[in-house]
Amino acid sequence: MIFKFFFMKEMKKYPFFFILLFFTSFLGTLGLIGISIVSGQIQEKLKASANELLTSDIAVSARRELFSQEQKILRSIFSEIEHREYKVIDIYSMVTHQKKKTSRLVEIRSSENGFPFYGKITLQEGEFSNQDLFISRDLADLWQVFPGEELKVGDLILKISGIVERDSSLGLRGFSLAPRIYLPLTKLTDTGLLRPGATGSFSYHFKLKEFDEDRISQLKGLIYDKIKDPAVKITLPQDSSEQTGRVINVLTNFMALSAMVGLILSLIGIFYLYQSHLHARLKDLCLLNLYGISKKQIIAGISAQFSFVFFLVMIFEIILIIPLYDLLAPLLSNGLGLELGPEVNVSLALRDIPFLFGLALFVLVPLLFGLMRTEMGVQLKAQKISMGRFRFFDFLPFILFLWLFSGYIGHSFKTGNIFFAALILVFSISTAIVKCGQWIIKKLISGRGLRLPNLENGIALRSLTRSGHKLTLSFLSLAMGATLISFILQLDKMILKEFSVDNKKPSLFIFDIQEEQMDPFVEAAKANGSPLAFMTPMIRARLEKVNDSKFVRNKKDFDFRAREEDEDARFRNNGLNLTYRSYLTDAERIIKGSPFPPGGTPEGRLPFISLEKRWSERMGIALGDKLTFDVQGVEFEGVVHNIKEVKWTSFYPNFFVTVEPGIISAAPKTFLAILPSGSKEKKLSLQRLTVEKFPNISFIDVGDLVGKLSQLFENSRKAIEIISWLSLGVGLIILYGLSHDQVYRRYYDIALLKTLGFSPNRVRLNLLHEFGTVFFSAMAAGLFLGWFIAQIIGRELFKLSWSIDLPRIIYPAILLSVLCLATIIIASWRAVQAKPRELLSDA
Amino acid sequence: MSESTIDVRDLKKSYGEGSSRVEVLKGLSLIIKKGETLALTGKSGSGKSTLLSLLSGLDRPDSGDIIFQGKNIAGMSEKELTQFRAAHIGIVFQQFHLISTLTAFENVLLPLEILKKENGRQIALNLMESVGLTHRKDHLPSELSGGECQRVAIARSLAISPAILFADEPSGNLDEETGTKVMDLLFQMVEKTNTTLILITHDPDLARRCERVVHLEHGRLL
Repeated sequence: MIFKFFFMKEMKKYPFFFILLFFTSFLGTLGLIGISIVSGQIQEKLKASANELLTSDIAVSARRELFSQEQKILRSIFSEIEHREYKVIDIYSMVTHQKKKTSRLVEIRSSENGFPFYGKITLQEGEFSNQDLFISRDLADLWQVFPGEELKVGDLILKISGIVERDSSLGLRGFSLAPRIYLPLTKLTDTGLLRPGATGSFSYHFKLKEFDEDRISQLKGLIYDKIKDPAVKITLPQDSSEQTGRVINVLTNFMALSAMVGLILSLIGIFYLYQSHLHARLKDLCLLNLYGISKKQIIAGISAQFSFVFFLVMIFEIILIIPLYDLLAPLLSNGLGLELGPEVNVSLALRDIPFLFGLALFVLVPLLFGLMRTEMGVQLKAQKISMGRFRFFDFLPFILFLWLFSGYIGHSFKTGNIFFAALILVFSISTAIVKCGQWIIKKLISGRGLRLPNLENGIALRSLTRSGHKLTLSFLSLAMGATLISFILQLDKMILKEFSVDNKKPSLFIFDIQEEQMDPFVEAAKANGSPLAFMTPMIRARLEKVNDSKFVRNKKDFDFRAREEDEDARFRNNGLNLTYRSYLTDAERIIKGSPFPPGGTPEGRLPFISLEKRWSERMGIALGDKLTFDVQGVEFEGVVHNIKEVKWTSFYPNFFVTVEPGIISAAPKTFLAILPSGSKEKKLSLQRLTVEKFPNISFIDVGDLVGKLSQLFENSRKAIEIISWLSLGVGLIILYGLSHDQVYRRYYDIALLKTLGFSPNRVRLNLLHEFGTVFFSAMAAGLFLGWFIAQIIGRELFKLSWSIDLPRIIYPAILLSVLCLATIIIASWRAVQAKPRELLSDA
Repeated sequence: MSESTIDVRDLKKSYGEGSSRVEVLKGLSLIIKKGETLALTGKSGSGKSTLLSLLSGLDRPDSGDIIFQGKNIAGMSEKELTQFRAAHIGIVFQQFHLISTLTAFENVLLPLEILKKENGRQIALNLMESVGLTHRKDHLPSELSGGECQRVAIARSLAISPAILFADEPSGNLDEETGTKVMDLLFQMVEKTNTTLILITHDPDLARRCERVVHLEHGRLL
């Protein structure tokens, strides 16, 4: 009986409700399911190729050569295990094409025989060996060079033996700072590039005869116990894939949170649709109750009915995702620089479905509680039928679950909390705007006639003040969609502005300048007509103690580690570069404490230290703390005097730690510098001069880097934009449902207005006035809120400056207006045709 | 003979198509005099509401004439019918049909504002007083009882001083006591304003309160 009622009769009788419910659920969950599948597919790919990414079973590395004591420890640990090993040094340096006389920064991977244990270096022609020079296809394409031609690497001129088509150890092609070249380790020493302070990584790779995951983990622990220096890292295959996946994770998590907005809109829609439906069906439900079906059975029937629709939605989505993935996988692989599998793993979607189903069911809980509280017997006798009220506490399970789900989707409690707080903010502001608007209209119409200035508007204004929470829901759903669109567009503009080459940005960022090279290099650059600026010392150091307590390596392993914990761990385990200077650059701003006093460090006082805000927060260091650094075996102490914000996108030499000039100035160091913005010729001539006379000094072409970063942002931006429009689509469906429902609830009002003398056009105008006011104000509020949130996030997270881009507000506003107007007209089309005679008793 | 308000000649109306076509009114003729109170009685489906909908300009006949003040409303366009209803017709419905987002006073004021009457507010206030609801004028329909809603509907129907007032089972949705009170009010107001009243009812006692009773059966007057 229950089955027949809830599944057969209902669906047959109310197809429109079920179609709307289906599409609302479908569009709201599609974004999340899609992202989940793509993200899972990437993770699977990375996990499967974890060994290939690392090239070995375990690697021990540092951004310096391992000390002889450390090497001895390694030997002793591995002496009892049957294994093979090789050493790899990765450094960044300039190389010059001998014939074309052009230079560029490359990553030099120099390795010993045996590299790689896992994976393969595939050449365009021939076989890879660790005896010759090979270059990546990126570099070959960039320079149009071919095997047989010569490159100058440091002091050596080497012939290119082949072009590498694919390197399985490269996780994400698009994310590397510079193209890679491959050199035998024996030749690297001859290049003269391995000077102290050169930017690079020194790693020892091991392959055990028999791979055993537990054994490898034990080995990792053992090495950590014996080599105490946090600068030494031990990497296992899964760490390597996690590291590669981290960049993608940040992007996919951000996209997933954007998709969450669509989901929330659809949940609002599901709630509203069911509320209207249950209200319309209440009499029938009361009759069922009268015939002996208990309230619990009715609630079970409704839940089963919804579950059935949700189940259909999921099946439909999965069926749709298979051909869509076939279409998108090549594009995604190309965009991410990671070969994704040709077939979609549908089981990945199954992980999220229980959560999505739980959320959707929890949003119905208040309505089901309301139904439980309905006195069904009384309703049948009452003149006006009404459902039991739901209370705020009924929403708590949903709110709690939503909060947890935000954290789960963002893979970060912090991001989840920020997202959840932003939601509450938008919800609160929307509610406040609705209440405020209603109060103002109430004051405006109080004691005035129905014409304001005309009858259509006067009636519409009265409706606005006297509509209940449905007005807030309509407002909220559109405001949230508009907020998201505006947020993406504004943030996009701000980031693009930041990642564009302008006069304030340097032309070249120069590094690895040795101490003894500083004066001749500065002189040579000056004589060349391209004087350098911001010559800044860089000292390798590591934090030893905070307030005299040992600062220990963080080697905790969690089954589930949030992104912040992950980042903290990386921060704490690494050594750092610091500088000394007494002044602030344009990119720095002190937010706590005061600038260094002039005149350096007086006798008897510890030198002052300035820390970057986020770094100090991560390390848990505050103003006044005493820090002890190890600078190449010598202890150095200082006191935190101020905390500063740094605008990293300035591309000037900036550091997490700046020390007051003084004793530290004597430490071994290299220098960084910039070539200020200027002509391309000056840039090229400085590059030529440097490669010729100072081959170990490297450059980053800021223009190239900015282009690369904006391209990277562009890829993720497109995905987020699609999700935003999807969310807006959900918003519009909900609006359609809301307008349709509200117009039909007023079906007899419309018929009455026509009886009293309103033409269909005047009725339509009245509805347009009413719904238009809600939609336009929601849109205006949403566009403003989106701009405002973009400014806050842009400022706080990316250190971008305030800006407003009017076309990016006006054009979406026009588009949304057209969409909204069309929605209202379509939703009210049939109701406007209401026949006045239907008001009569026999009609 | 008194001046006629409506002269109905050979009125026919049917609904549906083909085999499901039902002939509701089968050539009905009737003259209603100015200021007359007329009760239309008949079983469900006899055509009472259809006749009311045609006479009040809510619908158009298939054939026949409805002459009102020398004009045949049966031949009017949708727009002309709308104007005709707005200017000359008042209707009280069984279900009250008040605009839910307007207060009681605003519901009474609405037809006057549609006609752009200059002293509309005063007329509406007087009518609210006449139906004894001045103290409830700022309440929304949802805050009023059934009887109060119907009193507001009566006030609204009389606001434009209509030539004819149609009442479609006005007490059908009220309990007996409230229904009697509402009907007393309706007859008082009609008498006071000398308005022509056409009342549809099943109740023979109520019908007898009208000056004339016409009975409909199978689409014809008996």
